[in-house]
Amino acid sequence: MVIDIHAHPVLLDGINKDPDTFEFRRKSFGVFKSGINPIDFELVLLDDAGIDKVVWLPEDYSKDMGKAIVSNDEMASIVAKCPERFIGFAGIDPRREDAKKELERAFDELKLQGLKLNLSRLHIYPDDPMLKPLYDVCAARKKPIMFHAGYSWEPNTPAKFSEPINFECVAEEYPEMNICLAHMGWPWWNETIMMLMKYPNVYADTSMVYMDSPRNYYSHLFSVNMNLNWLQNCFADKVMFGSNNPRFRHVRSLDGIKNLPLRDDVMEAVLGGNAVRFLGLEV
Amino acid sequence: MVKLFERKLTTKKEFEMIKITDEVKAAVAESGIKNGVVAVITKHTTTGIMINEALPCVEKDIEITMDRLVPKDYPYVHTHMLPTYGTCSGNAPGHLKSMLAGNHCMFPVIDGKMVTGGEQNIYFVEFDGLQIRRYMIMVMGE
Repeated sequence: MVIDIHAHPVLLDGINKDPDTFEFRRKSFGVFKSGINPIDFELVLLDDAGIDKVVWLPEDYSKDMGKAIVSNDEMASIVAKCPERFIGFAGIDPRREDAKKELERAFDELKLQGLKLNLSRLHIYPDDPMLKPLYDVCAARKKPIMFHAGYSWEPNTPAKFSEPINFECVAEEYPEMNICLAHMGWPWWNETIMMLMKYPNVYADTSMVYMDSPRNYYSHLFSVNMNLNWLQNCFADKVMFGSNNPRFRHVRSLDGIKNLPLRDDVMEAVLGGNAVRFLGLEV
Repeated sequence: MVKLFERKLTTKKEFEMIKITDEVKAAVAESGIKNGVVAVITKHTTTGIMINEALPCVEKDIEITMDRLVPKDYPYVHTHMLPTYGTCSGNAPGHLKSMLAGNHCMFPVIDGKMVTGGEQNIYFVEFDGLQIRRYMIMVMGE
C-alpha cells in the first residue's frame, strides 16, 4: 500500500468550472502557472506512479479571502469521484464564528477524515485559544490533524508560527490525537525528530523537496544531515511519504524516497504503513 | 491563406514517441489549401517534433541515445523551487532533450497533399510525461 499523505486539490477539475475561481485558487495557494488537472488524468498519474491512495488537504482562510481556497463541500465532491483512492481532509478557518460546527459537519456529514491547518497563514501559534474547540472536535472523533510545519511556499506565511517545537503543547495535551508535522518541519528537522521520538502521537511527512532533485535531496537529508539509521531505528514508524503535489509530481517525489537504501520493512512503513496508522485505517 | 489547427493528446509515459503523420495529413486536407507548406509546431518546452522512420528499433535507439546524452541523474541547475511558478523544477532532462529534438517540422503541400519522403513520419515526442499536450498544425498557401 502506497499512500501520498500530502497533496493539494487546488488544480483538480470539477471544482474549477469558472476561470475566476481557478485564478483565485492559483493566486491564493501560490501555484501561478499550473493548469487544471482533470481527475481522470490524476488517476492515470497515480497508476503510473504506483500510488494507491492520496490524502487531499483543502485550506480555508475565508475570514481574509471571503471564501475558502477549497471548501469542505468541494473536498467531499472530489472524494466522491474516487472514494476508494481519495481521502479528503477538512479545512477550517478557526476565526469563523461557525468553525466548530463546520468541522463537526465536515466529519459527521461529509465524512472527511482529518483536519488541515496552516498556522503560518493564519498568523497564530498552536496554543492559540481559538484552536482549542477544533482540537477538541478532532480528539473526540479520533481524527488526525495535518499541521503545516516549517517553511511554507504559500504567500504571507511567516515560519515562526509553524516551528515544530511550538506544537509540543498540542502533542502533550491531546495524547490520543495524531498530529503530523508536515514537510518534516524543514528547516527545523532536528526539532521534528525530537517530537517524533518523544510523542507517540506525532508524525512527519516527506513533502519537503525545496532544493535539488528528490533523489539528491532525500539522500542528503536522511543520510548526511541525519544518519540513515536514525530513521531506520529511531522513528521508522513515524515518517510518511508525502509529495506536496502539485508543487512536485507524485512520481518524482516517490522515486526519491524509493531510492533511499532503507530496509524493506522501513520502506513499507514510510510508503504507506505509517499513514494507515496515522489515519486510523487499520482493519 | 493561412489555416491554423490545434490538436490535443495525453501522453502515457515519461518518454513517448507518438506518430501524428495522419493527423497532419488530415489537417492539410481540411484546410482546403492546394499549394504551400505545412508546419507542425509543439506548444511546449519539454516535447519535440521529430521526423524519422517509424520502426520500433529506431524509436528505441532514439530513446537510448537521448538518455545517454541527457542522463536522468545529473547536477542540473534547473532543480529548485521556481518562485514564478510556485512549483518545483524537476524536468531539466526534458528541456534539454526538447532542445535536441527541435520544436517543429515543415513539409511542402502540393495539389492539396503533404509531400514527404517514403519513410518519413512525423512524431510528437514526449520527454516529460505523463502530461496533457498540444501542438499546432499551420497550413500556409493558396
